[in-house]
Amino acid sequence: MKRLITLFGVLSILFSLQFVGGGFEAMAAGTEAGDTFMDHASKGLEMFWNFTGFANAHYTNLIMIAIGLFFIYLAIKYDYEPLLLIPIGTGVILGNIPFLAGYKIGLYEEGSVLNYLYFGVQQGVYPPLIFLGIGAMTDFSSLISNPKLMILGAAAQVGIFATFLGASALGFTPQEAGAIGIIGGADGPTAIFLSSKLAPTLMGAIAIAAYSYMALVPVIQPPIMRLIIPKHERTIKMKPPRAVSKTEKIMFPIIGLLLTTFISPSSLPLLGMLFFGNLLKESGVTERLADTARNSMINIVTILLGITVGASTQADYFLTTDSLKIFGLGAVSFMVATAGGLIFARLMNLFLKGDNKINPLIGAAGVSAVPDSARVVQHEGLKSDPNNHLLMHAMAPNVSGVIGSAVAAGILLSFLM
Amino acid sequence: MTLLIVDSMTWTITVLGWFIVFLALVFLIGVFLTVPKILNWSLKRSLRKKNKDNVKEDESDDAWTITGETNAAIAMAIHLYFNEMHDEESNVITIKEVRKRYSPWSSKVYSFNNVNFPR
Repeated sequence: MKRLITLFGVLSILFSLQFVGGGFEAMAAGTEAGDTFMDHASKGLEMFWNFTGFANAHYTNLIMIAIGLFFIYLAIKYDYEPLLLIPIGTGVILGNIPFLAGYKIGLYEEGSVLNYLYFGVQQGVYPPLIFLGIGAMTDFSSLISNPKLMILGAAAQVGIFATFLGASALGFTPQEAGAIGIIGGADGPTAIFLSSKLAPTLMGAIAIAAYSYMALVPVIQPPIMRLIIPKHERTIKMKPPRAVSKTEKIMFPIIGLLLTTFISPSSLPLLGMLFFGNLLKESGVTERLADTARNSMINIVTILLGITVGASTQADYFLTTDSLKIFGLGAVSFMVATAGGLIFARLMNLFLKGDNKINPLIGAAGVSAVPDSARVVQHEGLKSDPNNHLLMHAMAPNVSGVIGSAVAAGILLSFLM
Repeated sequence: MTLLIVDSMTWTITVLGWFIVFLALVFLIGVFLTVPKILNWSLKRSLRKKNKDNVKEDESDDAWTITGETNAAIAMAIHLYFNEMHDEESNVITIKEVRKRYSPWSSKVYSFNNVNFPR
């Protein structure tokens, strides 16, 4: 084995010596003189070289690959939404490997494998399937037991509309502004769904911004919570939610589906699937289907969605000033949405009496980002009072935020399509 | 007409959009505040029909609701009951004497080859 490697090494050194000092020019001249084995070999090597990523690399590709690696680092080191950031990070690397165009390799080349997978994103197939899984794994009992908390989910949607205004002011078209605004909903699938319909060219940047900020919820939200809610209000203990009967749990998805889709039919694919998934779970007779929806199916779709959304960030499409603006607007929208929920929760407390008062921290969970923002609320609540568990209460505005952002997406779609 | 760089249509979409989201969720709140009352009312009615003597007419709503804490306590009790059941035991604790017993597996006899030396 050692001998074979030595032999191969010597041969390759001898072979590469001829290229030193204007190798390729000499090779081209030699071709005119007459074709030899060495000429063919060097020609083949040149062709191979032109096919490699090294020959086609541009510094922008390297920047994007570094971003992909950073996502993977964040997911592994800090556990920030690893189920999303690892597929997206890998997708970013995949999408930015330089290649020679025209051979059905890239995501944007018709007929390539990645292009076929990307179809699900372009046509908005994946987001409703994700919503089906979310519906099958979400327990709406906390929301049903205290429906007034649903209003916090609506209040936090101010982020969407404030960003819509901001994006319009920055010169984006109304359609693009609508697609950018949905980042404030803190809901990845909804953001992808809406941007694929309204502004497909910005979809990569919007999806990456939405998922990045969702992963950064534990970093973005706590300072705003501490800024807006005074310490004595953070310690408010809420009365435990009442027990919810099975009939109520079954009626919730049916009534929710009918009401929300009648108000905003454009959000039918998202809300229809969300409530359908929940009905599978709560009906109690379709456990097998619910189990598939909340495990295998959502996992498969998450993989496909993550990898294709990541791969859609090819440097030449992604590294633009528009993307920078989108990232800036996304950060602002998250902050506005959080602040909106918190301020509205404090406002609500002015009208509530006795043990009906709510802990205003749960307003921050009105941005969807299920269940991360609810977890952040629980964490912040425990910091103020180690015996105050807010997780169950925060889940109510959290899931109503999902419904609210889907309704908002439907409204924007009907206004701007 | 433009207001703060943004045209009036954008403002309309912003205000109207948010208002509709609010309206949709307020509507849902209304429905879900009403549904439990209807269910409670129908439950009470059917119980009264079934067992008129056992149900008092003046019972308040609180009598029909069980709080989450009560449920949690019941569930915990049931869990403990089912997971901590033991068989009938003698309650006599004894310490077994440790004895070294002979075991042939490590017997020295088997570790020698039975080969005769040439004489």
